Amino acid sequence: MNPEPFLQLDRVIHEKGRLAIMSLLAASPQLSFTEMRDTLNMTDGNITAHLRTLQEAGYVSMTKEFQGGRPLTTFALTSPGRKAFTNYINLLEQIVQQTKSGK
Amino acid sequence: MTQNWATEHLQAIRTLMERSAIYRRALAPITLLVGSIGAVAAAIGWLVGIESHRGFGLYWIAVCLVALAGAFLLVRRQALKDAEPFWSSPTRRVAQALLPPFLVGLVACVLMALPRWREPLQIWWLPPIWMVLYGCALHAAGFFMPRGMKLFGWGFVLSGCAILALLNQRSYASGMPAIVNAHWLMGATFGGFHLAYGAYLHFTEKRKNEA
Repeated sequence: MNPEPFLQLDRVIHEKGRLAIMSLLAASPQLSFTEMRDTLNMTDGNITAHLRTLQEAGYVSMTKEFQGGRPLTTFALTSPGRKAFTNYINLLEQIVQQTKSGK
Repeated sequence: MTQNWATEHLQAIRTLMERSAIYRRALAPITLLVGSIGAVAAAIGWLVGIESHRGFGLYWIAVCLVALAGAFLLVRRQALKDAEPFWSSPTRRVAQALLPPFLVGLVACVLMALPRWREPLQIWWLPPIWMVLYGCALHAAGFFMPRGMKLFGWGFVLSGCAILALLNQRSYASGMPAIVNAHWLMGATFGGFHLAYGAYLHFTEKRKNEA
């Protein structure tokens, strides 16, 4: 089997928690902190750490606003983030195809 | 082994992406509220004796607006409580799916309630038409909601079709019943169905949270 696609997998996205966050954001224009935390059953600290890593990589952007007098923090995929996520999916599909065809 | 790992990863990504697009906000309270409004409105309509075809149509359009306003307030309250945006992506998708059948239901009512309508008892067709349209709306919205919603929509569509068939038979055999009885049909379906499904949602959601 050609190990190249596996080696090309983005290590920032490959971590389970961050991949879950990227997957949620890929299906929605934006999501709030609480929506993601509740959907993924993560602790505040855990999800904050993953979001920070994704922000530092430039994959996720954060917006702070007020709704009904309460602070509301939302996150969205950036253009490089969407590109990296698509690339990650393509590589996974490539790995599946390679193994199926026995290369 | 590697293939399994990659396939499982892809499956997990797909599941998460689907979950992100699902609307779950305040479903049980909304369904119970709409059911209660429907049942109470039916009793009031019957007690007050709203018997004209125009009165029936306008009365139930007003009830529908009250139910929509109540649902809107519940969704907003839940969004504020959970610090989530009100107009979230799943909310927008559900609203878009509901809109066309709701609009057709309103147009059908306005047309049937027009003063120039020749046969007032034809207003009997309105409840089953509304049921079918509402079922279609729920079924369309069900693509962005938990799975049971599509079945709930089918319940309305099939019941509406059955009532259309019964009315068709009745109109040829012995004529339509008095309009005041149509309130009971609205109460049993829009009230009763919602209350039953709301109770189911309430208890199953509670059990899931406890698990």
